[in-house]
Amino acid sequence: MTTNNIAVEVRNLTVSYHSKPALLDVSVAIEKDKLVGVIGPNGAGKSTFIKAILGFVRPDVGQVMIKGQDVQNAKGQVAYVPQRGAVDWDFPITVKEVALMGRYQRIPWYRNPNKSDREAAMEALSMVRMSEFADRQIGQLSGGQQQRVFLARALAQGSDILLLDEPFAGVDAATERAILDVLERAKAAGKTLVVVHHDLVTAAEYFDKLILIKQRMFAYGPPSAVLREDLLSEVYEGKLRIFAEVLKKESV
Amino acid sequence: METMLNAFLAPLGETYFQKALIGGSIVAIVSAVVGCLVVLRRMAFLGDALSHAMIAGVAGGYLVMKLLFGYEAHAPGMLLGSLLSAIITVALIGFVSKVSRVKEDTAIGIMYTGVFALGVVVVSIFRHYIHIDLMHFIMGDVLGVADADLWTSAFVAATVLSIIILFFRHFQITTFDPVMAASIGLPVLLIDYLLTTCVSLVVVSAVSMVGVILVVGLLITPAATAYLLSDRLDRMMLLSAFFGFTSVVGGLYLCVWLDSAGGGAIMLFCTLQFLVVLIFAPRYGMLSRWLRLRRMVPQQVIEDVLTTVLRYEKATPKAIISKYVDEGSRLSKVLKQMVEDSLLKEEGSSYLLTENGEKEAKQVLRAHRLWEAYLESIGAPEQDWHTTAHHLEHMREEETVDYLSEVLGKPKQDPHGQKIPGKTNDE
Repeated sequence: MTTNNIAVEVRNLTVSYHSKPALLDVSVAIEKDKLVGVIGPNGAGKSTFIKAILGFVRPDVGQVMIKGQDVQNAKGQVAYVPQRGAVDWDFPITVKEVALMGRYQRIPWYRNPNKSDREAAMEALSMVRMSEFADRQIGQLSGGQQQRVFLARALAQGSDILLLDEPFAGVDAATERAILDVLERAKAAGKTLVVVHHDLVTAAEYFDKLILIKQRMFAYGPPSAVLREDLLSEVYEGKLRIFAEVLKKESV
Repeated sequence: METMLNAFLAPLGETYFQKALIGGSIVAIVSAVVGCLVVLRRMAFLGDALSHAMIAGVAGGYLVMKLLFGYEAHAPGMLLGSLLSAIITVALIGFVSKVSRVKEDTAIGIMYTGVFALGVVVVSIFRHYIHIDLMHFIMGDVLGVADADLWTSAFVAATVLSIIILFFRHFQITTFDPVMAASIGLPVLLIDYLLTTCVSLVVVSAVSMVGVILVVGLLITPAATAYLLSDRLDRMMLLSAFFGFTSVVGGLYLCVWLDSAGGGAIMLFCTLQFLVVLIFAPRYGMLSRWLRLRRMVPQQVIEDVLTTVLRYEKATPKAIISKYVDEGSRLSKVLKQMVEDSLLKEEGSSYLLTENGEKEAKQVLRAHRLWEAYLESIGAPEQDWHTTAHHLEHMREEETVDYLSEVLGKPKQDPHGQKIPGKTNDE
């Protein structure tokens, strides 16, 4: 495997808060053009993992490389899509303006967004089929549409790596499908998507590869290799009944 | 007519009124613009804290300039002092909420009252050296604006507005999505400090006009008023500036006509403006909300009309529909909307189901008859079947209806021997 195949590489990463490790010796190399799910129980360090990839945490040991470059020198190369709950949906901002934010990193402070910036924003919106809502305030959209707007913003950033925090939280099944469809089209367009996910039942179906973490790295690989009873029971102690169902579904 | 016009024109000839109008407008406009960010970041309480904290800074600045340099009431010295005390207060608030379990709102409350108290004590101890009228400080005096204040506020306004316009995108993105802002490498913390400094500057220059107590209103009320009317930050700022300006104009006239306190009149007018907008705002106002709720035709009424027409089996006159659907005068509106939604076709004064409408109607009927069958199966008295099912039929999500059908053994007929329509129309 050569380095230029790797989108995100985490090497021996340990991050601690008050001498307690949030991540312990995590190493993973995420290949390009993959749809990767990050799973693990609550408090497993998933959000620290996200922060590390965005370059927000100071590691105790280890390194995070984005396309072969240290994460601190790669600001803006990873596009972040926040959790729906983290957004103020009453904010006075339109769909178009959110998409345009994706271009802010390219616009120097002394000039205004120009025509090509606006075109790029509109193009991103049409990729997620939201062009007709361009002038709506974001609070007037459905849950799935809102998620798509933020995806458009990430696409407008032009980054090859997208980081999504629980995009499927709190949406209905049909919406979940629609969002997945957009993710898959982004992948087809050559993006690498790293998605924090909480639903083990759908994890196998949605993702090419899964990362199973709980402080340390338990597995990285195709779903069949990660969703193994021994691994899951070690990570999610005492919730075996659920896994039995998941695994049964897997084997069908 | 003449006196009316005179009531407006006469004050304009007075120098004190002109100064109040100019000074007040400058301060109100810039507070209103910065206030938009304060409102969206939920920092309203911070504005209040800053205004109270400044008294310590004013006293400190006064003392230092007087004792060290011999200047009496040196305006730039006091401005710098208040700015310093505002920034120290913010730092203290952050420090206390960081190192202890005390949450931020409490930390704000502790620090601003503490620093305010320090200021009051200092002013009263040194009352022979410094001539600060505490009442003036607390209530403000827009009608007695000094030229120095006017220049200071003009300078502050120009600086702050330039910063906001230059870094508009930075303020927008750090307010809306600080995580993304940090992820593209923007110095989020620095931008936060820049905004806090702007708020402090504005508050400091506004206190001399409307006083410590009312200044937070000047900061947030026009912004909140604009918030109810706009869906874009740039427009919100423009509108907010406009409302700040009108508050000063309206308030000053109120003050002259009623011979009342200037700061109070301005804030009163500003609040009234907010209330009017709260009621009448086209989208987010109370009136439009109420109208929207009223205009909404309940799904139940639509379904009742559909089944009535379906049961009648031919073009149904309005009179017949109104016999079964008791909606009074609203029925015409309901029918009109159903025609628009292409559930019904109008034929003369009668109504027919469209293909779509028939599909819908059959599903409602299916739900109704399944519910009737269900009521029979649980032993409900026969005379209640129809009325109860008429109420229950609106519960017709696919899962509910399928469950009923399943649990009843997929009946083809209801208890009255009538056919239960299938899930799809061809069944």
